Amino acid sequence: MTNIAGAGSAPDEVDGRSVATDTKDGDKPAKFVPGQPDMWAFVLFETLLFTSYWVVYLIFRTQNHELFLQSQADLDLRIGVFNTIVLLSSSWSVARCVQASREGRFRAALTNAFLTIFFGFVFLVSKMFEWIKEIQMGNTFTTNEFFQHYYFLTSIHFLHVLIGFVVMGVVVYQLWSPARRSQQLVETGATYWHTVDFLWVPIFALLYVVR
Amino acid sequence: MSAATTETVAPRESPSGSPLHRFVWHCRHNPKRELWFAWWAMVTFYNLFVVSFFVLARAQPPPSPAVDAQGAAQWFTDNHYGVLVGMGIIFLVIGLLIAPTNALIAYSMRRMSVSRSFAYSYLAMYALSAIPGMLLLCIVLTVGAMRPDRDPELIYWLYDLAFLSFTGTMGVFLIGSLVWMVAILLDKNRVFPKWFAYLNLANALTEVVVAPAWIFKNHVFGWNGLIAWWIDMVVFGIYTGVFIMLLRKMIEREDFGTGPLPGPLPGPLQELAPSKEHDPSELTRTAP
Amino acid sequence: MRRIDGELILFWTLPVVALIWISAFFLFPGFVHPMSPTMSAEEVAAFYRENVSRVRYSMILFNWFAVGLIPILMLLAVQMRRMAHRTPIFSYSILASAACGPALFLLADMFWLLAAWRPARAPELTQMFNDLAWVTFATLVPYLIAQCVLLAVAIYWDRQPRPVFAPWVAHFNLLVAAALVPAAFTGLALEGPMAWNGLLPFWVKNIAIAVWIVVMGVVIGQTIRRQRLEDLEDKVAA
Repeated sequence: MTNIAGAGSAPDEVDGRSVATDTKDGDKPAKFVPGQPDMWAFVLFETLLFTSYWVVYLIFRTQNHELFLQSQADLDLRIGVFNTIVLLSSSWSVARCVQASREGRFRAALTNAFLTIFFGFVFLVSKMFEWIKEIQMGNTFTTNEFFQHYYFLTSIHFLHVLIGFVVMGVVVYQLWSPARRSQQLVETGATYWHTVDFLWVPIFALLYVVR
Repeated sequence: MSAATTETVAPRESPSGSPLHRFVWHCRHNPKRELWFAWWAMVTFYNLFVVSFFVLARAQPPPSPAVDAQGAAQWFTDNHYGVLVGMGIIFLVIGLLIAPTNALIAYSMRRMSVSRSFAYSYLAMYALSAIPGMLLLCIVLTVGAMRPDRDPELIYWLYDLAFLSFTGTMGVFLIGSLVWMVAILLDKNRVFPKWFAYLNLANALTEVVVAPAWIFKNHVFGWNGLIAWWIDMVVFGIYTGVFIMLLRKMIEREDFGTGPLPGPLPGPLQELAPSKEHDPSELTRTAP
Repeated sequence: MRRIDGELILFWTLPVVALIWISAFFLFPGFVHPMSPTMSAEEVAAFYRENVSRVRYSMILFNWFAVGLIPILMLLAVQMRRMAHRTPIFSYSILASAACGPALFLLADMFWLLAAWRPARAPELTQMFNDLAWVTFATLVPYLIAQCVLLAVAIYWDRQPRPVFAPWVAHFNLLVAAALVPAAFTGLALEGPMAWNGLLPFWVKNIAIAVWIVVMGVVIGQTIRRQRLEDLEDKVAA
């Protein structure tokens, strides 16, 4: 079990993650998976699932190269870049939240958690703004094959961000009151949020950049 | 968890001997026979479902939505007897097999430390799900197949109704999976590993991914499409296989108490799991 | 102490509902001489044109009281909780299946009402609605079979000095379930004993259901009465 500073042996740093030994009841050293290992299983599963969606996208792209190229020109690269920067910032803030929580600085952790939620919110707003813009240009879900994939991938990712809000809500709830704080749940929530960011990057690459 | 509780659960040794003899003994004496009855009903159901839908009726994988009226009529002609017999099997067994399936899953939630309303919600939702989500397809395909000389335009309408209702009944499975997920996440009785809760989330999301089947008639989002059907079916198949296995483990571990289930949590992640439940007080010791 | 207030009221709804169903059964012109699947579209359309009122009123009556059997099924579920089982699996299963039979019957009912809705419609459309209604009605057996078999197994596994139901009730339920089996395959035949108006899916099925309602009604009534006597004895002894 990951150790909190001061409760036992000092945590070591390996690749930026804490490798802690649990000396409370003489157990063998805990594996260094932050948060619930179950969440990592879920992350793996979702990544495989999204990979299958990306493979399908690429297959249809090679079959319809011209159409896809043409439709992609309608997308604004700047919005895509902005989205990516916003999500990366949210990952940074959630990592700081975990770090602060590990060190017992809970006010700072809460601030970073709220910052993460704020960045997520900015992402959502900019996504909706982009969709409205595309619809006004006449590109809807049913326009052509490229836009089918575009709306599908961005929507399913959007849904994962919404779920991320619920997860961050749990994190905030945990951090708020001393009676409830669970480092494991905070790290589990952070793992999920990192996944949301990590899944966005290939979507960004495929839809906006690869031309 | 104590030896005393397990004693009351297994007072006798199960016998050796012929399979029939052992089966009869278990029916008579196994203290968990009700749970095993429900579990075997569940396994039988999924097997019969595959036989009826995939092999006999060939309603799964579904035929294409991109056909015209003649194409739809042709499908019914090609599968006439398969549909009628396959659907007949479903009409025969679905109630008997699916009710204990839902009862067993509801029971798993009742065994958890959460409110019983989770169990009852799940039971109510999934009980009703079979009608729009499966029986409608069975009835409509039967009606479509039984009169081959019907006007193709009418057959076309029945074809759409059957396959759209089956693939497109989404809400029950969406919300039902989320109910199970929340129950597992809150549970302190260690009935299921937490990763199964997240798998429920993945299953719930397949109901979102299938929604475009109501909009598209071809490519990847049609009711037989690569994304809306094939990938979704893989996720659903994995999910189903996993919960069948997990329910089996639950029955094996069951001690008919109300506390945490004894024995190791099933699944490959157990050695990574913390040795105790998280202790909320651990953080307060270092709180500023 | 179990709460038993109102059980007798629910119980005595059964004969009332049964009476209403029997009336509606005879009112609907397509039951007494059940409509044949081999009727042509014109014949079906003519049937609905000529009998429009009787179809509508009988089906409205059925629609009102389709779920009338559920209170009795719930009395059954409550009795199952008294059985010597370790888990509520059987009562949950009965709960899960009790609502579905009436739901399917309501679906059939609505298809009949739809068939009678616009008698001037194209005959092929009326025939299709008629088909949907009859197939739904004939094939709604799965949940009835489920209830019978589940009750039988529950009774076999109710091992206590004073079981809730006698063993013959279990055998009877299995017999009824067997009688309902052929109706599941009625799609295979348009005439003969397996058609929806034939011996097995219509007469045997409906008579089996009627007999089940009567017999189980009596059994449940006796069980409730015996249970109250036992409760009274326990109270006096205490």
